Amino acid sequence: MRNAGVIVLLAVALLPVAAGLAGLAGVDGNALREVLVAPGVRGALAISVTSGILATLVAVVLAHLLVAAAAGAGWLARLRAGMLPLLALPHLALGIGLVLVLAPSGLLLRLLSPWATGFTQPPGWVTVQDPAGLSLVAGLAIKETAFLVLALLAALAQVPAAGLLRSAQALGYPPRHAWLVAVAPLLARQTRLPVAAVLTYGVTNVDLALALGPRTPPPFAVLVWQWFTSGDLAARELALAGTLVLFAVTLAVLAAGAAFYRAASHAWRAWAATGQRSHLSGLALATPVAALLALLGFAAVAALLLRAVTGPAPFPAVVAPRIGMAVDPALLAAPLATTLALALATAGVALMLTLWAAEALAARSSARAQVAALLFVPLLLPQLAFLFGWQVLLARLRIDGLFVAVLWSHLVFALPYVWGVLAEARGGLDPRLPLVARTLGAGRGTAWWRVTAPLLLRSTLVAGALAMAVSAAVYLPTLFAGAGRVATLATEAAAAIASGNLQEAAAHAALQVVVPLTAFTAAAVASRCVFRDRRGVPG
Amino acid sequence: MDRRTLLQSIALLPLLLASARGGAQDAAARWRRVEAVARGQSVYFNAWGGDSAINRYIAWAAGELDRRHGVRLVHVKVTDIAEAVTRLLAERAAGRAAGGSIDLLWLNGENFASLKEAGLLWGPWVQALPHAPLIDSSNPTTSIDMTLPTAGYEMPWGGARFTLLYDSARVALPPRTPAELRAWIEAHPGRFTYPQPPAFIGTSFLKQLLLLLVDDAAPFAAPPTPVAATQTGPLWAWLDATRPSLWRGGRAFPASGPAQRRLLADGEVDFALAFNPAEASRAIAAGELPATVRGLHFSGGALANSHFLAIPANARAKEGALVVADFLLSPGAQARKADERHWGDPTVLDVARLPPAEAAYFADLATGPATPSPPARLLPEPHPAWVGWLEAAWSRRYLGA
Repeated sequence: MRNAGVIVLLAVALLPVAAGLAGLAGVDGNALREVLVAPGVRGALAISVTSGILATLVAVVLAHLLVAAAAGAGWLARLRAGMLPLLALPHLALGIGLVLVLAPSGLLLRLLSPWATGFTQPPGWVTVQDPAGLSLVAGLAIKETAFLVLALLAALAQVPAAGLLRSAQALGYPPRHAWLVAVAPLLARQTRLPVAAVLTYGVTNVDLALALGPRTPPPFAVLVWQWFTSGDLAARELALAGTLVLFAVTLAVLAAGAAFYRAASHAWRAWAATGQRSHLSGLALATPVAALLALLGFAAVAALLLRAVTGPAPFPAVVAPRIGMAVDPALLAAPLATTLALALATAGVALMLTLWAAEALAARSSARAQVAALLFVPLLLPQLAFLFGWQVLLARLRIDGLFVAVLWSHLVFALPYVWGVLAEARGGLDPRLPLVARTLGAGRGTAWWRVTAPLLLRSTLVAGALAMAVSAAVYLPTLFAGAGRVATLATEAAAAIASGNLQEAAAHAALQVVVPLTAFTAAAVASRCVFRDRRGVPG
Repeated sequence: MDRRTLLQSIALLPLLLASARGGAQDAAARWRRVEAVARGQSVYFNAWGGDSAINRYIAWAAGELDRRHGVRLVHVKVTDIAEAVTRLLAERAAGRAAGGSIDLLWLNGENFASLKEAGLLWGPWVQALPHAPLIDSSNPTTSIDMTLPTAGYEMPWGGARFTLLYDSARVALPPRTPAELRAWIEAHPGRFTYPQPPAFIGTSFLKQLLLLLVDDAAPFAAPPTPVAATQTGPLWAWLDATRPSLWRGGRAFPASGPAQRRLLADGEVDFALAFNPAEASRAIAAGELPATVRGLHFSGGALANSHFLAIPANARAKEGALVVADFLLSPGAQARKADERHWGDPTVLDVARLPPAEAAYFADLATGPATPSPPARLLPEPHPAWVGWLEAAWSRRYLGA
């Protein structure tokens, strides 16, 4: 059966979600009412929705303008290299790092004190955890701009950008304007799902909100998380009802986002149709803003690493009097090994499933798009909404706490990205190439192995690296599926941060960044080695 | 395999109960049988994994248990014990009555009350442990967990006393009563805060204040009633009065105890709150707090509780869990735990009743300069139902619409 691969792929990706949502069906009506009148709920929902939408808007605009600027100046590769570490940085670690930079006792004011500010003790300013949630928006924007830049770069490979740009420029559009009129709308279309995932994450995240979000009230997802972790079992009913509310709010925001996208692309076409040509020099502002955000991200990493090796220093000193690595390297070895094993297994299985299913849909681009949309469903739902029901399913199957359960949970989050890169690459191959091999007498398998596979190698390597990056970052699903027994760098870093042990947390987070970076570098080096003596092989 | 475990666990309980009644020789023989079955078992110990000193202590215990008893102790690090509670609920929803993923659990108070009420704990088992007679029965918190009798379903592992940490470089005369603390806060706006309830230590701060501020603490030993609720007035008066002078004007609070410790370390506030009297000394030694930080107890007494170990009803390795629990209760293990160089967690044993050789372990314990002398009184915790009541009342007042 030709479609068997597609069925297996979708079952792997969607069974957990189905099980989880089935769990939500049992929500008690009284609990739902109780959630809606709980103290702070209205403010909490407002904060979640506004910070999620604002962060998404900022990230989308910045990512587009950055890619446009980089394409014009020829530094796309450097842009990708710059964004990768930010993408790989765990949300939790970024949150703590930003606090260490921006808080009134943070690195920024320490560098300026007391010589410029006169402060000998931290001022009572409101910086991080501001009531409007702006610091939370900044934190989200840093992560999501990096993510969307990489999504746009992946989409760029599927769009005839160079030709369109040449035509537009021949028609007299200055470069930046040409890009925005001819290429950006196509890229926006290709990246609708990643943007939706960003929107969902913005509204539903707990990690960043705990570190950077306001407190009275906190974002709604934090309230739900507090109910989930309450010792009072009655609060679990509230938590379950809360996830249902979060789910509904997320769907509403996604629907609003889709409507906004349609209106915006309509307006965009109207604007493009006016035929105005301008240099749009005001937009050049995007690069410094993005640079500032990126700088903030790297400063957060630096502050975290500084704290890891020196411990706290009395204000306004920048460096503590005593320096020494307090973390035992032996403690890092086991979680590192587990993380690597999971990352490799996730990449391997995701690639096999995708290649198998993509073969059946090689000539059917609309079916590929439908599969892509289905695979994205887990990323468009609040994780809190389906993790409990999924845990029950794993316990029924008696695989909870086993490596294979965690592997499955990682596959759910890696497959959308692997599919996005690899299935499209498979669809983009010239169908005549394997056909020629067949007419020359090769069997189906031989034709795939000798012709199709080598042509897909570069995309396969990129998709595999992407899968490894996702696997290294996944936290909550690891915890739930692994019954806490599968300790990865992500779970160890979270445990350390929960207790305020910044030294250990920073050490784990640093390694967590290294894993995907190594994967991407290895993929790049490998494809350069393999393709050194070949020309015209698609990327 | 699972059926075997199930049969075993059914068989084990009367065996252990008998050992509590039967003669000493019978008990010893029965315990030897438990040890024999335990040999080779893996015990998955779900315990908060956020403190590297505690993690190292558990790793040490794992080494000893492997060497002495052939039991493999696996520390499953959780960021919040609620994760383990969620897992037990998921396993029950999946119909798993035996062969569960958790063998031993570190918990107290509300979580114990919930799990026991839901029938998810195995027991009673504590009296069957050879070291159980050494438990300090004069400390009520070892057998009453936040007003609920433990009834042998959980074993006291260590003690906790509510402690204020302050930076002596900036706080010359540390306040020792709620009234003095209030005066200090009003004189030093922006320099005091507490973790936001329902963060564990923040809620504990409310309980500590409540017990010191009311004339009669008796109503709080029972679940909340409308009448008892009106008696919490002095607490809210104190919180309302101090709120404008808190860090961030009382509009933001640290998310957790550790988050507030960072504020203290960075000089944003002058106080932090802890449940372990040795926390300041340990944090100073680890370079996580300035050397000028000191701990103190309120002069009216310290909110006190014990933390416990429990075995889930569907645990796979119950014998192994028993052997682990008994080892952790032994004087050697308890003394090492009380040592600030390792953990600094107060013992649950009655040191006066130990044989001289074992009592000597405790005599040698070093105490850091930041550790306060023992509190004047131990104030037992209110009924666990007050936790939810206080958190909800706090949220209604200070969380906004």
